[in-house]
Amino acid sequence: MIKKMTAGVMALAMGASLLAGCSSDKAEDGKVTLELFSNKSESIQTYKGLIAEFEKQNPDIKIKLDAPPEAETVLKTRLTKNDLPDLMSIAGNATYGELGRAGVLEDFSGSELEKKVQPSYIDMVNRLVGPEEEGTFGLPYATNANAVIYNKAKFEEHGLTVPTTWDEFVASLEKVKAAGDTPIYFTLKDAWTGMIAWNSLGANVAGEDFAEKKNAGEASFVENYDEVADKMATLVKYGHKDNMGVAYGDGNNAFANGKSVFYLQGNWAIPEILKANPDMELGVFPMPVTNDPEQNKLVSGVDVLLTVNKDTEHKEEAMKFVEFMMDQETAKKYIDEQKAFSAVEGVYQENPVFEGIKGNFETGAITSFPDHYYPAGMGAENLVQEFLIKKDKEKFLKKMDSEWEKVQNR
Amino acid sequence: MNKKSNVFLVIAIPAFILFFIFHTYPALQGIFYSFTDWKGYGDWNFVGLKNYLNVFDDGRAGDAYLFTFKFAIVSTILVNIISLAVAIGLNSKIKFHKTLRAIYFLPYILSILIVGFIFNFIFAHFLPQLGDALGWEFLSRNILGNPDLAWLGIVLVAVWQAVSFNTILYLAGLVTISEDLYEAASIDGAGVWTKFWRITFPLIAPFFTINMVLSLKNFLMVFDQIVALTGGGPGKSTESISLLIYRGGFEGGEFAYQSANAVIYFIVIIIFSVIQLKFLNKREVEN
Repeated sequence: MIKKMTAGVMALAMGASLLAGCSSDKAEDGKVTLELFSNKSESIQTYKGLIAEFEKQNPDIKIKLDAPPEAETVLKTRLTKNDLPDLMSIAGNATYGELGRAGVLEDFSGSELEKKVQPSYIDMVNRLVGPEEEGTFGLPYATNANAVIYNKAKFEEHGLTVPTTWDEFVASLEKVKAAGDTPIYFTLKDAWTGMIAWNSLGANVAGEDFAEKKNAGEASFVENYDEVADKMATLVKYGHKDNMGVAYGDGNNAFANGKSVFYLQGNWAIPEILKANPDMELGVFPMPVTNDPEQNKLVSGVDVLLTVNKDTEHKEEAMKFVEFMMDQETAKKYIDEQKAFSAVEGVYQENPVFEGIKGNFETGAITSFPDHYYPAGMGAENLVQEFLIKKDKEKFLKKMDSEWEKVQNR
Repeated sequence: MNKKSNVFLVIAIPAFILFFIFHTYPALQGIFYSFTDWKGYGDWNFVGLKNYLNVFDDGRAGDAYLFTFKFAIVSTILVNIISLAVAIGLNSKIKFHKTLRAIYFLPYILSILIVGFIFNFIFAHFLPQLGDALGWEFLSRNILGNPDLAWLGIVLVAVWQAVSFNTILYLAGLVTISEDLYEAASIDGAGVWTKFWRITFPLIAPFFTINMVLSLKNFLMVFDQIVALTGGGPGKSTESISLLIYRGGFEGGEFAYQSANAVIYFIVIIIFSVIQLKFLNKREVEN
């Protein structure tokens, strides 16, 4: 009994000392330890490499990488506890907008670092924060793109050429279907994968400023998204027999094994597909949404932005790391490893897979992800998923409107 | 006497303090914030009963309530029938009954998330292949992708896992019944069925009560199984109330609103548990 009690006391004491250990961030050897919070599990290896390089250059700074699952929820919980990490590498979406409005991030506007970034991406993240708070609270770093990925071998087998209008695109899908093959491999069990097509369609049909207009009462889903819903319903007709039953991971494998000709995904899926089949030849093109090739823009968003906690104790060191990351050489290394695109001026993705969308980046035929501007609590992807099952357009569009307004009113 | 009660006090107080700090205090905080417009951080104002009125107006919450109750009632009934049957089987003098008891308890030891991911694989790969091979149309697609059937997939997983714990409780009840009663009944010429309804079932009534109440309460709070299997989809057809509260509160920035939803749900669960206890206790006494 006494033995057990001592063991219990020991355990308590050890737990307490562990807890105490967490709170001191100045290590015994005089090094400053910074915490880098990342929301992407895919980039852990890349970050580890870059951090090792940075630590070699700055021996008195240590960077601790933290990339938990459900990162956005974790970050919001830490915000409620006033325990934000020193450095954050997060996506340019509604969560960033909330953090910006909460006034907890460093303002980079007017700084030298801000000038290194392509202005269109700065606009994109500023619009996320909204007009209530002036400032640029994060530096867009890596960007992504929504594309149609295609299997080059199958593409040639069916005698197809890259479509530039919606009608040509549907004709290609029809041709593949008539030949008895699967045109598009949908993975709609994961609701978010439906938003790839939705965003390409929405951005090009309803326009980039839909969210602002909607909040001002000048636009609505019923009025502006009718065509989008019709085209979504058309696309789903060219799927496989179990569109709703396959998840993203299985879809990557199926597409890599030649189960379909087209795959509607972002550039982030390409490393995963190549992992499943390293010899596969892939191509990409922006989804041609309208029948005017001039009007069709590529949907690209800020996948990673770097930001610093306004109240960190080690701002100087944190800024040093951000400067290191924003260096052209580092930025190039990041996008090469991640198969992403860079927001840093003068850094381009040269991987031959992306030949089909390279032109969009050079000419600036780019538009942002519409759903990044939707209110976070509305759960748009599940509503879209439901629509693709039930195909009741009027009811669905009305529900999108009412859910949006309901969340805004809370 | 006095000394004895002091000892009990010393034993009870640490537990009470821990319970209060980690359970009661956060719950009270939640109730407090349900009357505000707090987003989880930053400033807030009192908004009175606005959040509560909005919950009653919220179609999404209504759907979640319907799904959760449908799921919980079906699962509770199935779990209790199956686990009672399994317990009776394991209580009889069959070979290896100790080994079998251990095997039947295994699902309870596994984490719900792991079980969910394994079943996810079975639903996505194994069952459709089986359906194709047998030519059964309804099985050849992933049932979790069908809004009308997905909830049955979740019921299957939840019941498979929950049966083990309820079986243990029923087994504990069955061993309290004296063998003499069955012998006497046999002499009087009672069949297996009569023995079950006249001896077994009445004598394990307290265990039946606790199993019904516990499983209904657990199934009403279903969360892990859904996260692992469907994430609330397809559409919102399998969104349970716990999932809705978590999603809206932490991902959607509706902390205060979903706190109000949680308070309402807390009251609903209490009401249901009390009704169940009243009803089933009465039945125990009558027997």
